[in-house]
Amino acid sequence: MTSTPLPLVVENLSFRYRDRPGAAIHNLSFTATPGEVLLIAGASGCGKTTLIRCINGLIPRSYKGDMSGQVLVFGEEVKDWKLSQISQKIGTVLQDPERQILGTKVVNEVAFGLENLGMPRAEIYSRVDEALNFLKIPHLRNRETFHLSGGEKQKVALAGILAMRPSIILLDEPLASLDPASAQDTLDAVRLLANQGLSILMVEHRVEDVLRIKPERVMFMSEGEIRYLGDVSGLSKVVNYREVKLPAEDIVERAKRDPAPAEIHALPGVNSLQLKQDALVRFEDVAFGYESKVEILHGINLQINRGDVIAVLGPNGAGKTTFVKHAIGLLKPKSGRVFVGGRDTNEASVAEIAGMLGYVFQSPSHMLFAPTVREELAFGPTNMKHTKDQIELEVKEALRIVNLSEKENDPPLALSFGQQKRVSIAAILAMRSRILVMDEPTAGQDYQNYMNFMDSILQMPGFEAIMFITHDVDLAAIYANRVLIISDGRLIADGKPQDVLRDFDRLRANRIIPTSLLALNLKRLSATGRFMRAEALAHV
Amino acid sequence: MLVAWRYRKRENSFIQSFDPRAWVIFFLCFLFSTLTFWDVRFLLFFFFIAVFSLVTSGVKWHEVRRAFLFIIGLVFFFGILTFLTGRGGSEVYEQEHLIREYRASFSILGWTPVLKVTVERAFYAVSQFVRVSSMAVMTVLIPYSLNPALYGITFKGLGLPDKFAYAMDLTMRFIPTFGRDFQLTMDAQRARGYELEKISGGIVQQVRKLGPIVVPVTIHAIISSEDIIDAMDLRAFGVGPRTWLDVLTYTTRDRVLIAVGVLILSASIMLGLMGFGKFWVPQVLVQMFS
Repeated sequence: MTSTPLPLVVENLSFRYRDRPGAAIHNLSFTATPGEVLLIAGASGCGKTTLIRCINGLIPRSYKGDMSGQVLVFGEEVKDWKLSQISQKIGTVLQDPERQILGTKVVNEVAFGLENLGMPRAEIYSRVDEALNFLKIPHLRNRETFHLSGGEKQKVALAGILAMRPSIILLDEPLASLDPASAQDTLDAVRLLANQGLSILMVEHRVEDVLRIKPERVMFMSEGEIRYLGDVSGLSKVVNYREVKLPAEDIVERAKRDPAPAEIHALPGVNSLQLKQDALVRFEDVAFGYESKVEILHGINLQINRGDVIAVLGPNGAGKTTFVKHAIGLLKPKSGRVFVGGRDTNEASVAEIAGMLGYVFQSPSHMLFAPTVREELAFGPTNMKHTKDQIELEVKEALRIVNLSEKENDPPLALSFGQQKRVSIAAILAMRSRILVMDEPTAGQDYQNYMNFMDSILQMPGFEAIMFITHDVDLAAIYANRVLIISDGRLIADGKPQDVLRDFDRLRANRIIPTSLLALNLKRLSATGRFMRAEALAHV
Repeated sequence: MLVAWRYRKRENSFIQSFDPRAWVIFFLCFLFSTLTFWDVRFLLFFFFIAVFSLVTSGVKWHEVRRAFLFIIGLVFFFGILTFLTGRGGSEVYEQEHLIREYRASFSILGWTPVLKVTVERAFYAVSQFVRVSSMAVMTVLIPYSLNPALYGITFKGLGLPDKFAYAMDLTMRFIPTFGRDFQLTMDAQRARGYELEKISGGIVQQVRKLGPIVVPVTIHAIISSEDIIDAMDLRAFGVGPRTWLDVLTYTTRDRVLIAVGVLILSASIMLGLMGFGKFWVPQVLVQMFS
């Protein structure tokens, strides 16, 4: 009896990029079976994306280097296949749907691959509708892709792949830019696809989120090699809970054996006597809209005080970035006023406000330009007319905090995305503004790195207040002493984390999904009196 | 992600009542025809077509206000510059008839600035304004009136091969995307205390100081292009003849529009060859200031 070959067999696969030293992946061997979700986890730079590119054929076609070993799809080696052949068997959803979507309308986007294969129109329409119906998004068919929410974009990207009827789907960090509810929707769709018999390989940092859809197996990679490949229950036994975000109960169990983590003293430069002084930032009935008739922010009233560590939560497109851009004066209110350090932002330039309030943008590629990391970091302080000696110190300290001291002389644009993100944060840290505002500082970062730099940033002596936008509820629970929920341009909630985050119905209504750590913290709140990280809960 | 121009379906829009291919052909005929003339009497005909297209386009003033103010400002600036310096018009006229001469009351290193207002310079400025505004109005209307979802099939329908047609589609959408990225980079650098308006020093120094804007915008454009290429490769782009999902069909009025466009272009070329349409000034004025 002849058995059907497996959808995917990877044998002794190694690859080294032509322009980089050392192998990106080394001697990888594994298989994927029909109907399985294989979660691939690991820190930034561990070789996950390289592996995906080797399987989908972009390596060696678009990215050159030395490749050895083989990738077999249904028993056939794909090395000599055309990309069009591969794309009919293997579909790839990239990290950011924004970077994958080409069509202006959903129907065109989903049909793109089928058009390229020269299929008859009737067949294309039928497959497009089939894919949209399967993902329960037929209502998006004639919408413009530009106006879709993050979660909708990700599903449309998935539908575009699905329409080509692949047997294997590769997802490269599909949740990175999504709010928790959109991430959940995407994951449900992925589970549904696996249940239909497709093989799914999903690279993802948000391991805990993926565990909810019960992946059949997990692969843990480190330095280009497979460190673990097996069922989910074995993962928490072999990986370091500081490297991969595991469910809170697992961390508590593991952390009991380790010494208690050091207590984080946020904003050490702020003493309790200063807390009652004037507000650092004040929003007075702020409303804003890019176009005259469409209002995005409605009647925002709040103060940012000394000692505040504020997490801003809310769905994709809720107006969070628009809100924080008012704090630095990049946007001016249509009505109402914003005061920073007592000055109306209408009467101060952004450069003047930057001395008071440092703002880290979401995407590092929009700001990095200098030939070396050191010069990149010196740019802000130089603009602020800091002295040479001061700048030297500020740059060194910022590099230490983001753990990039050894990259001081490297060109920032040659670094990995995660490292670039850290450079962009360091560039603002070096300016030593009194207030730090960060827009999704942890997006695209691996768990260990972002926890480390969040720890360091909070313990920097120079800041009087910190505000960060995030989709990560745990980040808000662990680090913030105040949580804002913004939804549909309105401030829905403003209070202590233990007050705002305990109302699960309100969280869900605002596309925020409670996590295991949040639930555990609430359960133990009477004993702890505040929210803590899982490692700390293990010792209470 | 590529940003679309601010297109929307508009009620009773004259432009949108045509097949986009027909309008693009008409537009190209209009453009080349306008370029054959300097005679303001002929140019007024094209100006009238442009104004008619604008008024009947269904595009609201508040949508195009910024674009038009920018273009009108630019046209005025260069018009006035040509008028003041007298440069630029010398290819189309040889003689000048002085209306009035203004001599500055000061000298710079022995040179006294003189402004000569001549009949030719004045009419050249008017002709230039009418000519450029006609073309600008027709060009600005395109992104507001043509459906971005049909860019590809429009270029394909105009005879371009699949790859070129899709490349044109992407290029058309790349322009507003580039604008958005430029704004984002400006904002990110301003948040680091960078002030474009305060750039000083010599030319080389000034160009160097534009680095914080130019480098990220360029790099971002390159990275985005690579992403687009990957996304296209992964969905089998360019492997063979492709099916275009949308279908465009010419109607009688589209054919009429194309015929009118071709007729105007042919007539313009003919008139040009026959020596008509060259720079013109009213003889009355010439005689008055001879």
